[in-house]
Amino acid sequence: MGQTIIQNLINGSMMGAIYALIALGLSIVYGVMNVVNFAHGDFVMLSMYFTFWAGTLLVWDAVATPLLTVPLLFIIGVLTYYFLIERTLRQLYVTQIAVTVGLQTLLRALTQVVWKAQPRALQYSIIQGSVEIGGYNIMFSRLISAGVSLIIIVAIYLFLSKTWMGRAIRAASDDLDAASLVGVDYRRTYAFSLGLGSALTAIAGGLLMTFQQVDPTMGVRFALLSWCVLALAGLGSIPGLLISGLIVGSAESLSVSLWDPRARSLVIYMIFILVLWLRPRGLFGRK
Amino acid sequence: MKRTRIPTRTALLLGGLLIALLVPLALKSSQYNLVLATTVLLFAAIATAWNIIGGMGGQLDLAAGAYLGLGAFTTGTLLIRWNITPWVGMLVGGLVATGFAVLVGWPLFRFGVKEVWYALSSSALVEVLRVIFLMWDQVGGPVERYLPYYAFSLYHLRFNSYIPFYYLMLVLLLITLGINHRIRHSRLGYSLLALGENEDAAEVLGVNAQACKLQALMLYAFLVGAMGGVYACMYGFIHPNFFSGTMSTEVAILGIVGGMGITYGPLLAAFLLVSIRELLRANLGGGLEGLYLVIYASVLIVIALYRPRGLATLLQDLFRQVQTRLAQRKEAGHGAVTDA
Repeated sequence: MGQTIIQNLINGSMMGAIYALIALGLSIVYGVMNVVNFAHGDFVMLSMYFTFWAGTLLVWDAVATPLLTVPLLFIIGVLTYYFLIERTLRQLYVTQIAVTVGLQTLLRALTQVVWKAQPRALQYSIIQGSVEIGGYNIMFSRLISAGVSLIIIVAIYLFLSKTWMGRAIRAASDDLDAASLVGVDYRRTYAFSLGLGSALTAIAGGLLMTFQQVDPTMGVRFALLSWCVLALAGLGSIPGLLISGLIVGSAESLSVSLWDPRARSLVIYMIFILVLWLRPRGLFGRK
Repeated sequence: MKRTRIPTRTALLLGGLLIALLVPLALKSSQYNLVLATTVLLFAAIATAWNIIGGMGGQLDLAAGAYLGLGAFTTGTLLIRWNITPWVGMLVGGLVATGFAVLVGWPLFRFGVKEVWYALSSSALVEVLRVIFLMWDQVGGPVERYLPYYAFSLYHLRFNSYIPFYYLMLVLLLITLGINHRIRHSRLGYSLLALGENEDAAEVLGVNAQACKLQALMLYAFLVGAMGGVYACMYGFIHPNFFSGTMSTEVAILGIVGGMGITYGPLLAAFLLVSIRELLRANLGGGLEGLYLVIYASVLIVIALYRPRGLATLLQDLFRQVQTRLAQRKEAGHGAVTDA
């Protein structure tokens, strides 16, 4: 029993690092623009399909596909800003939700048209196999994915705190008017933020495809999952996001193996609802 | 001005009602079109009920599927297990949905969960209920539970035709519209509209936000729960997938795209969008799977971008234009009317 729990905590934490990466993208978009992107999870799904495409058509390994999908998703994010989001900035937030739900439906339908409804997976990746440490089984693909996610999260943290663009993004999220006064161009900043947030899903998508399959319903799952991680962490804390990701990943893994595979989403959503009731600012939030 | 306006409106309403009553006669030959018309009415009714909490109160509720599913499961289970008529089941289903709404709405409003977080938590509730009913083998489970079959039984609310269900949905829609209209011009309605515009300002002016939102949520839940009862009888089975997140979101989108807080907005949106979607599905469905949704989603985005205040405002503008045009003609004298 104890062994099972620890094994699940290991698996869940590795998954949780990827969840934190996805939620980081969401938190940049929501934190900076205050724009509610319901299609964020579908960007993850789209990235996974692009990875599948690169893997089957170009015979790239899933590990290498972010070279292609990151720029692609960045562009999609920027275009989404200029064509869809910018017009809704001055509208009620429900209009933003209507537009991004429309985008969500559109993306899901497009994937159905292009890739059909059945699940797709890549057959082979160079990171395969597993290692046994002290009686616990650790899959290389998950371990490396978690490691890469961690590195990217740290890199984004450094980017946001050390570079001019990163500081502009944070300034815009604190006080847009003041940021404009010191020369921050909000259109460029917003477009870049949405591009960056979407590009992060491309990395996550590539990593996920090393050990998972993709189907059109995946988007909804990742959307609520990343909102759950974000709610648990609260806005503005990157280390908080990581811890929340680990909590959510572990809770998911434990509920699947100790209770019932069907209970997976139940446990995550219950955590989500309880957090909103009891700690609306999240565990680590600053605003 | 006022004297001409009221008759026009009444005429429009009566005209619409007459058309609605005659639709089944026109579609009698085609079972498919009848299903489509009933589906449009169903979505219109749910979205109109949503207007109470969402449109007027500004609370973006994404849990319509939860209330619909609870109503359907209550009605279905009462009928299957104890042979209790769905007429009673509908009311009990509505009450169960209301009870659930209080259970989750009270803490949500008490702790001030707002806007996107309210939307997401209500959306999570639908999935929570779906999984619970999937795992709860005594009532739900992964296999459909069929309602007893009758070719025509008023007691069991089972018919082998969609026509009775069409009229039943129409009645539910009219009731919901009536309730909407009553609320719109009541103290609760004004409070809700104020909340929808600006919650903090409304509270300063003495609106009890918590109580108003909870009342609106309860009314909405009861109506959708009762519709769930009809839903179960219409499809002839109950299944945990009735707790559908997609449907819940769509209901809210119809409410938004129709025009927040405008009584006939959701009706208009459902009428246009759901028929577009279903017609596209019927005509394109065979070829490319999902193509109809691509078109549907694009239409949705375009409306949301270019008519952010809702489709109903389009109609309002048109109405106003016609009125001013008529008024101008009257001023110009009778000669102008004849050349029209």
